Amino acid sequence: MDGAAASGRPFRVPRLERVDAETVAREVRAAAIEARRQLSTAEVAMAASRAALRLSDPEDPAGADALEILAAELSWPEPLSRETLAGMARGWTREALISLVDRELGGPAALDGWTTSSSAALAGRRRRAAGPLLLLVVHAGNVPGVTVTAALRGLLVRSGVLCRAPGSEPGLLACFARALAEEHPLLGRCLATTWWPSMHEAPWDAWVKRSGKVVVYGGDTAVAGVRTRVPAYVDLVAYGPRLGIAAWLPDAPLEETATALARDVCAYEQQGCVSPRLVYAVGREGRELGEALSRALEREVARLPRPAADVATAVALRSARAEAEFAALAGKPVHLEASGETAAWTVVVGGDPLRSDPLPRFVRVHAVDDVAELERLLAPLEGRLQSVGYAGTVGLDALADLAARLGACRVAPVGTLAWPPPDWLHDGRPQLLPLLAWTEWE
Amino acid sequence: MRSDETPEAEARPADEGPFGALGAELRSLFRAWGDDPGSWPAERFDELALRAFELQWNTVPAYRAYCVARGVHPSTVGDWRDIPPVPTAAFREVDLAVAPPAEADLVFRTSGTSRGSGRRGRHRVVDPELYRAALEPAFERFVLGPGSRPLVLSLVPPFGRGRDSSLAWMCDDIAARFGAPGSGSVARGGEPEWAEARALVQRCVADDVPVCVLGTTLAVDAWVERLEARGEALRLPEGSVLMDTGGAKGRPGLRRGAIVERLGRALGLSPEDVVNEFGMTELLSQRYGRGEAGVGRSPPLLGPPWLRTRALDPVSLQPLPEGEAGVLCHLDLANAGSVVCVLTEDMGRMRGGALESIGRSPGAPPRGCSLATAELLDTLG
Repeated sequence: MDGAAASGRPFRVPRLERVDAETVAREVRAAAIEARRQLSTAEVAMAASRAALRLSDPEDPAGADALEILAAELSWPEPLSRETLAGMARGWTREALISLVDRELGGPAALDGWTTSSSAALAGRRRRAAGPLLLLVVHAGNVPGVTVTAALRGLLVRSGVLCRAPGSEPGLLACFARALAEEHPLLGRCLATTWWPSMHEAPWDAWVKRSGKVVVYGGDTAVAGVRTRVPAYVDLVAYGPRLGIAAWLPDAPLEETATALARDVCAYEQQGCVSPRLVYAVGREGRELGEALSRALEREVARLPRPAADVATAVALRSARAEAEFAALAGKPVHLEASGETAAWTVVVGGDPLRSDPLPRFVRVHAVDDVAELERLLAPLEGRLQSVGYAGTVGLDALADLAARLGACRVAPVGTLAWPPPDWLHDGRPQLLPLLAWTEWE
Repeated sequence: MRSDETPEAEARPADEGPFGALGAELRSLFRAWGDDPGSWPAERFDELALRAFELQWNTVPAYRAYCVARGVHPSTVGDWRDIPPVPTAAFREVDLAVAPPAEADLVFRTSGTSRGSGRRGRHRVVDPELYRAALEPAFERFVLGPGSRPLVLSLVPPFGRGRDSSLAWMCDDIAARFGAPGSGSVARGGEPEWAEARALVQRCVADDVPVCVLGTTLAVDAWVERLEARGEALRLPEGSVLMDTGGAKGRPGLRRGAIVERLGRALGLSPEDVVNEFGMTELLSQRYGRGEAGVGRSPPLLGPPWLRTRALDPVSLQPLPEGEAGVLCHLDLANAGSVVCVLTEDMGRMRGGALESIGRSPGAPPRGCSLATAELLDTLG
């Protein structure tokens, strides 16, 4: 079947008819059962990690392939791809995977066999946990590398993992699958990935019905679309779009904050829900920060060039900039800073304080009097915030409390927003537990 | 029918001052072209465009500042292609008109939502007579044919009382200017009265009076669907024509070829009787194309000689070679009262002076998991 990556570059995948999809599902399921017999969770973590880390090693053929794939599919310059893969790889190490299991399950014992609780209330009862024998992961677009992270989570909970890769960049996950098969053939058989157009029903039908759980990454429309396909008895774990914001608190330094924010903004083209898009100057001049941020972005773009804008992005970016520029010319309290006629970066100070645009390296800065004003302002975004970044300490407690009230998933210093710790609470929940079912032996 | 209620726009007192003189000259040239296309002074296009630009530079402060920021001054511009285009987004933020507001001004607004990137644009027309002078001869030439006086049946709600689209004004004006008695909108309450439309058509059939149907593509489709559902087929009299505009608005399955084919069955119109209009609030001239078209594109769209369109590279804004698709930039002398050069968010290509419209750029595609708030906030109101 023919698809087109984000760059517009066409790709072709085999047409998966029902019988093929069923065969693949059967084989992956059988491999998952066999892997549970043969391998401990620690062994899975070690082999899967080895395979994943090859993608971030440019000296490794798989790493070279990964760079080539991101260049072809996303038109990403190599420094951007390298940095993204290296950042993602922090969550792909054996240590990171094991510590994730430790944090969420207290260790791999419950994944490897029956465990006895030390709690008196549970005396005599034994428990074990496992993901479904088949886990379907649907990607409708995300930060490159999240596909690999999601597959690793599935493998860690000992599931066979079926993936619908994102049409915008289907290759990286396939690259991981190949590396995994090379590192550990049995584990390699526990993972299958492909892509199909959303209207092609056969694989949906065959894979959704056979999966014990379905995980979906995508926008609201994509998530809603998958939801309609999942039977009521199958759990759906959805990672929808969220927003990253940051606050420049009254005592925070100007230039250091701007530099840290620029790093957060430029990381993987600001595609992540952890990336800041709205920055609030608390009790301070928004324009001062906007101008410092524009200087910092200029420096960061020199270090990390951005890909050429595609047509739709170029048109939308020009429109957003023109709107800001003419608002300023009309005497409204709006100020535009931009990288001239190039699409490299944009900062808009003022305007609608809640508006964020799906544009790369595009930040809006707003001044607020204090955290209380921020709370009033952000109320409509309750439940839709991922990261709340901060610079400074004055009012930080109030900001953190506000973040918690609004259901934000993390509060973190600027400069670290783009790269949460490997065991972070993605969308406010553990990463492995939602994939598990527990069996209790009374 | 409301043809008697067509907005009566008064000319701005007089043809005084720099705009008045230019406006009067353009009105006269446009009308003369309507009578005799050979009268159009093509060699004067540059001069007229540069006069309009200089006037706008002098009288529209926001535009002047925009030009200055780009190092552009009327004295440095010697070719119409060098006039800085105003992105349509600017119409959402600022009043772009060469004269202060006056009672006789027309104000057209784009459709759109209240927040986010879809806020409504606003085009204040300081010389409605110039708009008429641009609209009417081109409509007669490209849609009706010289001398035709059909019954104009508009599926578009009339202008005024909260309805402020340029399309509504245009349809009202066409009905008043060219329509046989009884012409006007059948959508006075907002939605077309299909029974009234049917009765009018039947009367025209009986009297052998040609009909000119005006409507959005979606309204036309709704009519055809209704006729199909009832198993009805009307046969519009010889000389009838249908003009639709706006396109499918993302509605799946609404391909141009299928629309034209279904119009043939439902209303007895040949592909040549179906005219697709390309117009926008920010431009006072229109283009028109007849018949079918390839998938996802319009038929070749022709316009009056005072409207010149270029396809530009979306990133660099450099002009593209003939036939190559790009973002559309128009220079419309009928916009002498606001800004003549407008950069759109529409995609298309030029071939032999005709525009092939591909449609609106879809906006930046959502990539990754970052939330764009516009839609969310629109939902919340």
